[in-house]
Amino acid sequence: MPSESALAAGLSELMVLRLLREQEMYGYEIVQAIAARTRQALTPGEGVIYPLLHALEKDGLLKSRRKTVGGRSRIYYSLNARGAKKLAAMTDHWKSLTGAVGAVLNAI
Amino acid sequence: MRFEGLREILLKGGVAPRHVRRYLAELCEHLDDLTEKQRALGYEGEDAQLRARALLGEDRELAAAMLEQKSLRSLPARAPWLIFGVLPPVAGIAAAFALIAPLALIARILHMVAKGGILAPQWFQGTAFAVTGAGNLALAPALAAGFVFLATRQRISWLWPLLAIVLLALMDLQFQAHFPPAGQRGGALTIGATTWIWHWQSWLETWPLSATRLLLTLLPAGWLIRRRSAA
Repeated sequence: MPSESALAAGLSELMVLRLLREQEMYGYEIVQAIAARTRQALTPGEGVIYPLLHALEKDGLLKSRRKTVGGRSRIYYSLNARGAKKLAAMTDHWKSLTGAVGAVLNAI
Repeated sequence: MRFEGLREILLKGGVAPRHVRRYLAELCEHLDDLTEKQRALGYEGEDAQLRARALLGEDRELAAAMLEQKSLRSLPARAPWLIFGVLPPVAGIAAAFALIAPLALIARILHMVAKGGILAPQWFQGTAFAVTGAGNLALAPALAAGFVFLATRQRISWLWPLLAIVLLALMDLQFQAHFPPAGQRGGALTIGATTWIWHWQSWLETWPLSATRLLLTLLPAGWLIRRRSAA
């Protein structure tokens, strides 16, 4: 069974991969998107998203490029094929986990 | 410079300099976005900046998040024994071959090489003497300076580059170019690598050159020790 911190780390990873499946984004956009989609239930630390992005890129799940939009140059991240595969596996795992937790909660 | 304190924490923590550089650049961009948002919310000037900085997170939190990612640590931080203990002699020999290889290649392409040695025109002899001279005097000192630069850049303990310098100083990398009188075959380019402690007689034979090289190689160590005592 994953520890609480591992679960939280896995959750951040899952959300980042899921968001980047739709479009390439830069760090600030990702943080805002997570907060908006979870209706502020999950608000990752503004600055701490980058180490995760760097680690995911190092693991070969993301790719990055510097892009200038509206006169501002930023590093954009996007999902690659390996990242998409990992996202599919993590999504399945997460669904089975929430299903199991749901089954326990419903039985109470 | 913004986030100077954070840069030091991360480098001392062993995070690879390229990740540190990129992280700080991204944090600066993120801070600008947050400040802009605070201004849009009606906060002005310094107030907007302070609120944005608070939202970004404290240096301690920002550093902890990065230090937690072990995969982002640099190789010299993870395995200093490999970089400063094993690499110096290997790098010395590899650099010596890299320096002499273009000359050997040119000699072969221009058909200077035959059974009796190299039949070299004047320009080739001049180039060969310049390259071997540079190799004799500058290669080991340049490598020693490189290891000091690497360690300083990554805030690695000064003892590691000192070890690298000692290993390089113990090595006796020698380049030689020898050419007979004009028009005669029999020229040769040679590289020799040994530990001069075991071959001190040959070291003494060429002592002006060897001692100069040794002193130049030890120069970065002197700088390291001076910097250490000044700190």
